[in-house]
Amino acid sequence: MGLVIWGNAGCSPPAPHRTSCLACHKGIETVSPSHPECPGCHGGNDKQSGAKEAHRGMLGPRNPSDHRNWEKGCGPCHPYQLGRLRGSLMYTNTGMIRNIQLTWEGADGKLYATRGGDTFDATGKPLKLKPVEELDNLSGALYRKFCSRCHIGAEVGDSTGSSHAGGCAACHFPVNDDATYTGNDREMRNRKPYSATHRMEPLPPNQVCSRCHNRSGRIALSYQGLYDGNNGHVPTRSGQSGPVPLSGNRNAVHIAPDIHAAAGMECIDCHTSRDIMGDGYSYQNLYHQVEIACEDCHGGTAPPTYRVITGDGDEAVRESRGYKMQMRPGMAMVLTAKGRTYSNVFVKDGKVQVLGKRSGKIFTAKVVTGTPEHTVVGHQRLECHSCHSRTVVQCYGCHTTYDLRENGMDFITGEKSPGMFSETEDYRMLYPFPLAVNQRGRISAVTPGCQTFITVIDEEGNKLRNEDVAHFKGKRQLRFAPFFSHNTGKKAVGCRECHANPRFLGFGQHVIEGADIMGTLMCDKCPDKPLDGFLTMDDGRVRAFAAITREHSRPLNSGEVRRVFKVNLCITCHDKARDKDAIYAKKLEYRALDDTVHKRLLGRP
Amino acid sequence: MRWTTLYISACLVALNIGLGHAAENCRVCHRVEMAGAHRSLACLSCHVSESATVANPAAATGEAAPCNSCHRGFAAIFDHVMATRSRERAFADRSFTKVDPNFYRKNCNSCHLKGCLDCHQGGGHRIGTASADLCLNCHRGYFVGNDYFGRAPREDSLRYQRGKRFQGEYYLTMRPDIHAEKGLTCGDCHSMQSLAQGQKSAKECTDCHRISSRPVEHRIRAHLEKLECYACHSAWAPQEYGSFFLRFTDSPTREDFWLKWDETSGEYLRSAYLRKQDSPPLGLNARGRISPIRPQFIVYYTHIVRDRAEGRENQLLAAEWKAYFPHTIRRGTVMCDDCHDSPRRFLLESSQDRIYRLEEDGMTLGSFWDQRGQTVINGAFLPEARYRRLSARTNAFQKGYLEKWQTFVNRVDGSSSR
Repeated sequence: MGLVIWGNAGCSPPAPHRTSCLACHKGIETVSPSHPECPGCHGGNDKQSGAKEAHRGMLGPRNPSDHRNWEKGCGPCHPYQLGRLRGSLMYTNTGMIRNIQLTWEGADGKLYATRGGDTFDATGKPLKLKPVEELDNLSGALYRKFCSRCHIGAEVGDSTGSSHAGGCAACHFPVNDDATYTGNDREMRNRKPYSATHRMEPLPPNQVCSRCHNRSGRIALSYQGLYDGNNGHVPTRSGQSGPVPLSGNRNAVHIAPDIHAAAGMECIDCHTSRDIMGDGYSYQNLYHQVEIACEDCHGGTAPPTYRVITGDGDEAVRESRGYKMQMRPGMAMVLTAKGRTYSNVFVKDGKVQVLGKRSGKIFTAKVVTGTPEHTVVGHQRLECHSCHSRTVVQCYGCHTTYDLRENGMDFITGEKSPGMFSETEDYRMLYPFPLAVNQRGRISAVTPGCQTFITVIDEEGNKLRNEDVAHFKGKRQLRFAPFFSHNTGKKAVGCRECHANPRFLGFGQHVIEGADIMGTLMCDKCPDKPLDGFLTMDDGRVRAFAAITREHSRPLNSGEVRRVFKVNLCITCHDKARDKDAIYAKKLEYRALDDTVHKRLLGRP
Repeated sequence: MRWTTLYISACLVALNIGLGHAAENCRVCHRVEMAGAHRSLACLSCHVSESATVANPAAATGEAAPCNSCHRGFAAIFDHVMATRSRERAFADRSFTKVDPNFYRKNCNSCHLKGCLDCHQGGGHRIGTASADLCLNCHRGYFVGNDYFGRAPREDSLRYQRGKRFQGEYYLTMRPDIHAEKGLTCGDCHSMQSLAQGQKSAKECTDCHRISSRPVEHRIRAHLEKLECYACHSAWAPQEYGSFFLRFTDSPTREDFWLKWDETSGEYLRSAYLRKQDSPPLGLNARGRISPIRPQFIVYYTHIVRDRAEGRENQLLAAEWKAYFPHTIRRGTVMCDDCHDSPRRFLLESSQDRIYRLEEDGMTLGSFWDQRGQTVINGAFLPEARYRRLSARTNAFQKGYLEKWQTFVNRVDGSSSR
């Protein structure tokens, strides 16, 4: 996807000189001052004058950073980055494939990747990932024909707002909404799919992230304040589907953005390069690869920690080279949840400050450690986003059909084969959202992940499976997944709001009759169960009918549900946790209601 | 009801006596098998005369005169809203006429009473009582009817057009009204008499139900004095926020909207900004009681000519709410805080709680859950001062609240350690 031009090779940038490439590609943008020569990246022969001769032996020829070329293209100069990227989930998609397997056919003891290859596991042992081409079942087909477009091993050039290059260029050579070159090289202008210009972007803007992260969890949409629910294509924009058109016949409307986005922070201001490009180890889930947490900057039970830069060779110094402000020895760099340094977050004058990598703006993070509303006993079990998510996007009822009468494109092999996937949905929700126990044993927001109902139609039109619910953990059940929606607000979900509304516990929209919590939005397939929840309460008995994915995760049990509700006996009067109401500094004493003070206040005998 | 039955029986007896004298030639050609309540009637009892035969005696155009000759008084139904559609006409007049004078004719005219047989199943020769399915021919989609049987409209996007179908439309599966679950049907409350008299219903809740003082809520006097029963007992309600009417002229991009449509769609496509079906917002109805309200309608209009918007795009034509009775009654209700700590339910959402940013998308209103710029056509929004009063944590409130939650929590089994 990057464009051809400039000459010579090598890692230390020589002075630019005129080559034959510029005879045709007049006006093309310089990639960067450190990438002045064409053949250095593109190969080919810039001493030849004719296009045919000059282009002979080019890498790609369009995109030397594509995974098929990157050994020769970017790799020779950037082996550290390439080495990390090979094991990164953004390239392997191992987690995605594994999770599809877990929810459909079940795990087969092997680990797959988009392309397969050698890497290292989380403990540093050599690890062989099998190519997903060899996964010859429905999971494999779903990945190859549906999900695989969103990884950096594939180029997508025909998808409104979702196109991206393959390889390093996926992030570092941004495309515009219709993947058309609009730079100054007349030879290339209006050609597609190409990056918007030939200028490299060392620090990718949000739009780059949203090329892929606009489906499933949709974090890039939620972060920026966009919502593609209900998909009504209204309000229109210039007579077309609007207001923000997205790929796959979708549209988005504006919602409240994440508070960090509203302040001007971009995705990469929180996410380190290791979050995104990997740290050299191959993880099986994104939450293992991501090294940051809210508490890194805002503090949790303990305040943020930091490490002082001692020398010029420090990674934070090197990584911040392209930022508006470079880190220097002596600076106190804040540590990530994995104990490594951020390259843009530091402590200065006793404050945690975040440098906008692209903008150069300085943001101050409020440390909440020890504040009354954050020391409510029991709440140490909560993830920050359980209270601070403004919305959590929830897709209820994902109906996937695999129809073998039609041919579908396999984006891994690049060939069409029998079997086409299509999807319909029941209902989308933003607020309220359910909570459950996540892999860290913490209470976290959860979202359907996924409520897949699968239909398979054979060549003769027979339904081999009809709205089937897959097995998960040995049981035919739907699934929810712990999820940080990236739509953070300063104002938290209110105490009473969460404790007094069973929707937050996973009962779905409902009415309460005696000791029954009765869902009102029901599952088509099991009309006695709510579609938008995973718990029922029947005569006081709490039952879970769906699983929470990930290790050690589960819905709240009946004891916990009871405790959550019981808090209402206190909150209704003691509703000022932030004013340091002492009762929340220790375990709640419900028998206090029967003491003389309470009896007198309540006028009880 | 009883006098009607007696009266009808008397008519039938009179007709049967008359039959002996009439020489009917109809059956020489017309081999019609009669069944149902009218099986022993002579042809001309309904079709009037051999020389001036009334082809459709039950037609509204003739005020169903032959029917009315026995079923006296029932023809009055044709003077009321189901036949006149006066409310829908008035709505179209005050909202759409300025942008499309023929809007009502194009989009609203398919549901009106054309005659007795619209509701009475079996056709003229096998006539029966009115059936719920026939009621639902008109009372479909967003309108009250399908909610009673546990069906809520889905989003219009083809992505959401799936699942169970009823009379050609896809619906979400909801918990039905408890009366439906117990076998009661539309006519059990909406008697013919009541409809003919232009009333909505023959019965009110308290005609059948005694208000027990067992639930805490029923012992709170303000609840009994100020709330409709169905303000609490409506388990859910379909709500359509932002009803878009997209009018297409010479615009092939209509296909790209990926919205449901059928042969009757004509030049318009419909879509909604957002559909919900949880607890309905509350306001005041015509008799000043707190009642569910819902958008009916917050209408936007865009005319797309040759694939471009002509005139003002997404023009807000009306922002009207209606106090109404969702037919989703359950014994259970939501808990105290769902009203007493829920400004959004009264359209008093604060701007910092605003999730959907309508203004950024050029939709004129600040929020659907903000009273400003909107009206209730048959009632009023709850004044903010009144909301503040009802949400005050007074001593009386706390006592009721504690009793409610203690009763509930004590029944939640907390033993499981899963």
